[in-house]
Amino acid sequence: MRDLKIAFRNLTRQKRRTILLMAAIAFGIYIITMINGFTGSFIENVSENFSNMLAGHIFIEGKEKTDSGKTLSLVRNDDILMQAIKETNTDWKYLTKRSDLSAVLIFEGEDLNQSVTGADWDVEEYFKDRIVLKEGSFADLQAEPQGIILSDKAADKLNLQIGDRMLVKCQTYTGQQNVGEFVLTAILIDSSLMGGSTAYANIDYINQLLNLQPDEYMSLGIFLNDPDTIDETADALYENLKTKVNMFERSNNEEENKILSMLKQQDEQEWTGLRFQLMTLNDIMSEVQQIVNVLNTAALIILFVLFAIIMVGVTNTFRMVLMERTKEIGTMRAVGMQKGIVRKLFLYEAFFIALLGVITGLILAGITMFILMQINWGMNTAAFILMKNGYMTFKLSVPQVLLNFVIVSALTLLAAFFPSNKAAKLQPADALRTSN
Amino acid sequence: MAIVKLEDVHKTYPLGKTEVHAVKGVSFEINKGDFISIAGPSGSGKSTILNMIGCIDIPTNGKVIINETETSGLSDKQITTLRHEVLGFIFQSFNLIPVLDVYENIEFPLLLGKSKMTKAEKSEWIDMLIEEVQLESWKNHKPNELSGGQRQRVAIARALVTKPEIVLADEPTANLDSVTSDAIIRLMKKINRDLGTTFIFSTHDPTVVDVADHIIRLKDGLISENYRQENPKSFGGAE
Repeated sequence: MRDLKIAFRNLTRQKRRTILLMAAIAFGIYIITMINGFTGSFIENVSENFSNMLAGHIFIEGKEKTDSGKTLSLVRNDDILMQAIKETNTDWKYLTKRSDLSAVLIFEGEDLNQSVTGADWDVEEYFKDRIVLKEGSFADLQAEPQGIILSDKAADKLNLQIGDRMLVKCQTYTGQQNVGEFVLTAILIDSSLMGGSTAYANIDYINQLLNLQPDEYMSLGIFLNDPDTIDETADALYENLKTKVNMFERSNNEEENKILSMLKQQDEQEWTGLRFQLMTLNDIMSEVQQIVNVLNTAALIILFVLFAIIMVGVTNTFRMVLMERTKEIGTMRAVGMQKGIVRKLFLYEAFFIALLGVITGLILAGITMFILMQINWGMNTAAFILMKNGYMTFKLSVPQVLLNFVIVSALTLLAAFFPSNKAAKLQPADALRTSN
Repeated sequence: MAIVKLEDVHKTYPLGKTEVHAVKGVSFEINKGDFISIAGPSGSGKSTILNMIGCIDIPTNGKVIINETETSGLSDKQITTLRHEVLGFIFQSFNLIPVLDVYENIEFPLLLGKSKMTKAEKSEWIDMLIEEVQLESWKNHKPNELSGGQRQRVAIARALVTKPEIVLADEPTANLDSVTSDAIIRLMKKINRDLGTTFIFSTHDPTVVDVADHIIRLKDGLISENYRQENPKSFGGAE
């Protein structure tokens, strides 16, 4: 207690110097906490945005191989899929059925390659909140069987206005040429990342263009009530479906990319007839997780580089402190203070600086995060995929904060250790002879 | 009975490429309860001898025996403990700890080792010392708020707080005016008489030397005189 009291009081002897050191540590902690906070919510936000864009947490696609060797995506009869969902007691929120079309849109001599997603918009109510419409509405799209929502960029390129009819040139799922007509019912703001490049239409008309039956579709998306159960639900569904239909094998190898593994099976293995593939959002997110891992590693490197610089400052400061207090150390040793306690006094002082620096840095980071979280950045920015409904979010884990604190404290103590050790080893008589 | 015994003590300091022989073979004994002055001009080896008696410096050759313990064979930890239990220090420039107030500075050595006193006893003892050095109204002041004489009185109280058998004072009055010096010496003498504490102080001030009942005079690292004084000079009402 005595040592702690003296060490704490020593901090006040050179207030400006203590504050500067603390500020340097606080800055380092501030930066690292902001990065950690951002990457902490990165996965969650990207995952949620992806699940909304891709319409589910688990995706099941039917694959058919034609006589010509071409692979088609198609779910002709989803009774087996629904049965599997029921048998595995899958806790779903929405079941989404989508068909995708690659088309060329033509209007007044201009043409544009465009992928169009067809969905039942009565089911995908949630999706309407994810798209920011500039003109028109989803209701208009649902009211017009041949309606389409295009991005503002696509509409501009084709010089389209709401209500304009455009020609659509595409291929049926078997590869035959087909034509049709879309009516522009709404224009969405292009976010340049995901939504803008895709157009949205009613699934019935897309199926018609693809020459699919009204109850057929390309992929089934399952939105779960609890996204944390994606893997276990997917595993249960996969095991159930394996007993009923042919499935592309899901790789259990953690190192292997599950999506690439399935694509490999489709391209390289000999198979015929109908097979199903089951993918999850986590399979896609594993790539994103790698990005997060890279960011976290970069953050850790920044932490070390930043603190390597700060540590030089700490060491120099404590060398100065040692010079200033040499005589005092001699006095304390003369009146009976053991070497170890002298060392401890310096280390406690360094620890207090680290502790106060960390607390200050965390408070500043907390304030900054709070302010940033209040700002609505909108959905029409390229970074919307990283945000939650247009708001930045930050998520810090206690172990991460503690780890940073431990690293910073350890580095500070290490930086202060050498001057402290030198102080402890001073001969009392030599220390007392100094002029300070 | 000799509480301090030096036997053919030498001390050599390296100074660049040469060596300085600060003490060149000194032997003497100090009895328990003595009020002893080590006198001599600057550079005669007073402080070096005091440092060796105080176990804050080690002799190059010879033996320093404190309380029948030969100090050369002790580890740093044992020497530190010996300093804490047997010795008290008063420095020329007071050497108080600036972040602690008067009470805390006096209490400080008590916190460094095992004490048989209870918390209440400690507090009572420190208050008594503060009263003894007449700093009752300054007990919560920091050293930078005190005069030189007051600081030295704090240093005296600090030196006595562990009830040491020997108090070493290196030029205790060198930084003080004559009136304050007299008061400090008077105080030291009173404590010597009341508590039986052995006081060993170095000085080059002849008026202070005369107060001692045992005088060791040094010149160029050697003892030039070592004698006891039958009628030491008295200060005010101290004697």
